[in-house]
Amino acid sequence: MTKIGIEIHCQLTKLESKLFCPCKADYREFEPNTNICPICMGIPGSLPLLNKSAVEKATLIAMALDCRTPDKIAFFRKNYFYPDLPKNFQITQLNVYGNTSIGWEGKISVGDKEIRIRRIQLEEDPGRLIYEGATEKTKLTLVDYNRAGTPLVEIVTEPDFETPHQVREFLNILSDLLENLNVSDPGLEGAMRADANVSIEGDSKVEIKNIGSFHDLEKAVHFEITRQQSLAERKIEIIQETRHWDDGRKITVSARTKEEEAEYRYHLEADIPWVRINDDTKNQLKVHMPESISSKKERYISKYDITPQVADILASDRYFSELFEKANNETNAKDIANIITTDIMGLLDTREKREKSKLDAKHLSDLVEYIRSNKITRSSAKLALDEIIKSGNPLSQIIEDLDLGHVSDEGTLSDIITQILNEEAKAVEDAKQNPEIVNFLVGKVMQKTRGKADPELTLALLKKNLGID
Amino acid sequence: MDNLVNEEEISEVAKLMKIDLEDHSAHIKRVQKMLEYFDILDSANVESEEIIVQETDLDKLRNDKHIPYDKNLLKFLKTYQGKYVKAPKLN
Amino acid sequence: MDLGISALNYVNGIKNNEFTVEEFISESLDHIKQVDEKLHAFLRINDSAIKNAKEIDAKIKSNQNVGRCYGMPISVKDNICIEGSKTTCASKVLENFIAPYTSTVVSKLHSEDVIIIGKTNMDEFAMGISTEFSAYGPSKNPWNTDYVPGGSSGGSGVSVSANECVASLGSDTGGSIRNPASFCSVVGLKPTYGLVSRYGLVSYANSIEQIGPMTKTVEDSAFLLNMIYGIDPNDNTTIDSKNQDYLSNIDAGINGKKIGIVTEMTNSDGLSADVLDANNDAIKTFEKLGANCEQVSLQMVPYTVAAYYTITSTEAGSNLARYDNVRYGYELDSSGFEFNSYISQARSKLGPEVIRRMILGGFVPSAGHAGKYFLKALKVKSKLINEINHVFEKFDFLISPTVPIQPFKFGEKINDPVSFMMIDFNTVTANLTGIPAISVPYKITNGLPIGIQIMSNRLEEHSLLQAAYALEKTVDLPEVPV
Repeated sequence: MTKIGIEIHCQLTKLESKLFCPCKADYREFEPNTNICPICMGIPGSLPLLNKSAVEKATLIAMALDCRTPDKIAFFRKNYFYPDLPKNFQITQLNVYGNTSIGWEGKISVGDKEIRIRRIQLEEDPGRLIYEGATEKTKLTLVDYNRAGTPLVEIVTEPDFETPHQVREFLNILSDLLENLNVSDPGLEGAMRADANVSIEGDSKVEIKNIGSFHDLEKAVHFEITRQQSLAERKIEIIQETRHWDDGRKITVSARTKEEEAEYRYHLEADIPWVRINDDTKNQLKVHMPESISSKKERYISKYDITPQVADILASDRYFSELFEKANNETNAKDIANIITTDIMGLLDTREKREKSKLDAKHLSDLVEYIRSNKITRSSAKLALDEIIKSGNPLSQIIEDLDLGHVSDEGTLSDIITQILNEEAKAVEDAKQNPEIVNFLVGKVMQKTRGKADPELTLALLKKNLGID
Repeated sequence: MDNLVNEEEISEVAKLMKIDLEDHSAHIKRVQKMLEYFDILDSANVESEEIIVQETDLDKLRNDKHIPYDKNLLKFLKTYQGKYVKAPKLN
Repeated sequence: MDLGISALNYVNGIKNNEFTVEEFISESLDHIKQVDEKLHAFLRINDSAIKNAKEIDAKIKSNQNVGRCYGMPISVKDNICIEGSKTTCASKVLENFIAPYTSTVVSKLHSEDVIIIGKTNMDEFAMGISTEFSAYGPSKNPWNTDYVPGGSSGGSGVSVSANECVASLGSDTGGSIRNPASFCSVVGLKPTYGLVSRYGLVSYANSIEQIGPMTKTVEDSAFLLNMIYGIDPNDNTTIDSKNQDYLSNIDAGINGKKIGIVTEMTNSDGLSADVLDANNDAIKTFEKLGANCEQVSLQMVPYTVAAYYTITSTEAGSNLARYDNVRYGYELDSSGFEFNSYISQARSKLGPEVIRRMILGGFVPSAGHAGKYFLKALKVKSKLINEINHVFEKFDFLISPTVPIQPFKFGEKINDPVSFMMIDFNTVTANLTGIPAISVPYKITNGLPIGIQIMSNRLEEHSLLQAAYALEKTVDLPEVPV
């Protein structure tokens, strides 16, 4: 039976500062080695200063994943030499003197399967290696320590997954959950990384590392299962090892085993006393924890009578659920939800677009109101949205500027219809035989009015004109 | 002398610690002697002891604030082109 | 001008216009020039000292607020960072390392108008008991230059003892302040773990080490402690001791106090005859001062040296891992090197004792051996803490000779690893338990110093200093022959 376990590293990008020093948590905008200080560089005599909010946010994650949480947390040193580690050890968490990591024994539902969470721990990210130079000879290993010390939460699952698809689903659910909790922005490059371990028939466990994206993870797991199955079929032993995902060739390859087969000499990080987290603190955190996605979804369905599919999409996206909550006044909830999921999500499908967007809740509620009161058609609304996002101008001004006003004046509409009937003589003929053709003519009117014509009125007038019921 | 930790193990550890033991015998022998002395710990009868640690409270921890380091740390480091730190080639 | 005056008397001298800061500093520098070539207490002298002195004199003259130090010259062990100055830890590996920031203790003293006159010699990375393991040559005991000054803060001890400066800051991991204090006949205090910030102290064994004062008198240690203790947001292990004035009532005496003579640290097998003598004498002295002295046994003491070396090797193995010469260190182009061999090359510059500790530090916490060594050592430490807590329910102080032997000749102890380790026998208990301990100069026998160690419970420095002061006042020692 195939068993797959996942290990996720998620950066707490919503924090202001690194895990052990006041440098910025989000290092992405900095020139190389300019987001550093004596602490994260491991300058002699420097000492780690644990970030209080990191502990709180990590505890939130543990709670959201239904984990048990400790009364005291401790930190340990994982000692090994590597150029991206300024101290040649990583400060991380372990559970060797009782349970002292931020959470353990949790669970999360993926479809109708329950995935158990083995443990959650806080640790620091190393720096980044950059390779420069064309040939093997001239290749330089350059290090940028801007990322060193960035707060990471490591989430380790039990090998409860059975298919690559489940893994992918889980990653999406986890992503949404972390974003919803406001602890991380998983869309940021490098903010969420995952490794997998795969075993068929429960014997040798193969770890797969160096996976660049969630998409690759699914592929890597799929490949590895196939590889192991084919070995098993030929009665060849599956070696327990670590393999790397080779993105170029789309295969997993055996990683050269390091001589010192993982001897980390774990011991307590004495510079950080054990931190007591009392029940009061935990309760406070729970009380202020953002509403979960599933709870939101339930609420949207029951309170606003929104369909489960729309509720699902809306609740899972923090940005849009926030917009929805702000914009709706209960009576227009369904319409707001609709516009968001049908039109706005497509227009603001990337982080950059969302950041630049000038659309706010008022625009949205105004828009729905205007549609309701026939001041603008549903299709003109889309054009309006485009402009709102770009300029942020009030809806009334945009309708004027772009001349998107609803054409519902019978007189004006009749004139246009007369025009169309003249232009589309053949259709007029056909319509008399085939009443469905009238829709074609409605379309032409809409075209002519650039979507501003009231569709119902147009249909009615056309039918009258053609003498159809 | 039979109970001395064997030389090979000590050499392996030296490699782990990135210590190149050119002059093997001097260091190894002395380390063996020190380890032999540490055997005294076996008679301390401390199996059931709980380890004692320093503790603190969550509210004593550093507040999450970005404070850029006010000095140019790169000046004090070995740099490549003034931007990166150059590391030796990795295998 | 008497360069042998205490810090407090220096301050009075300045206040009473007996001399200026510049005069005192200038004469100190001359004296250093005269004696330090032989004694080698210093690795580096501060060439801005006169300039600083002039500035402070100007401040005094213009009636501005002057810090409590009034420009007194203090030396600092070379494992404590001062911005813009080299901090080598007496190692070749940090030969050219210039600290980019200043340690909290020195910042505090700077704000009190101290003048750091130089950085002192030590055993490399604080691993040693005699400065014989300094990569820049040993320091000499001013009482007899054929003999070691103790370590690892040997240079600090010498600089104070030989009147090259008024006081010094050392660091103590297993006795490294108290041992040279005893060997050089000065006062050396290891504060409670967490009382003084370690921010800027290059870590060797971070779970037990502390920075502390080395001074001519007990009052001076109290004076310095007043300025350097306190919670530091840059060091999460610092603890609150609630606004103390360690100088207040320092002469209160010890009448009626209960003193425990630690049996395991004072039995005749472990001590040299002269040290045993001095210890018995000290006991009588304490009794004459009105204290009740009684033998007390600390059963874990015989295991403390093994536990100490196991724990400190582990921590040192980790704390020194960063010295791979990649980010800072000394000149060595990495082109042509592969990663592992570059690091090995860098670390080949480490001295023999440090190398041995690195190997031990890789061995004792490793997966296959941690149970037998490292974990057991932690448990010994814990049991010892419980013992100490229990003992201090009954006693106010514990005493022993600081070092089981008197200063020895260069080369004498350096070859036998076990007898070398045993020199720390009386001092490591205070480090492992975090309690404060002070060495008070007590006797000079055969021209060489013997110090007595007094220990008290955690955060009881105030009464500890009272006991030390009381003992000190009974003693009239000869002047150092420098």
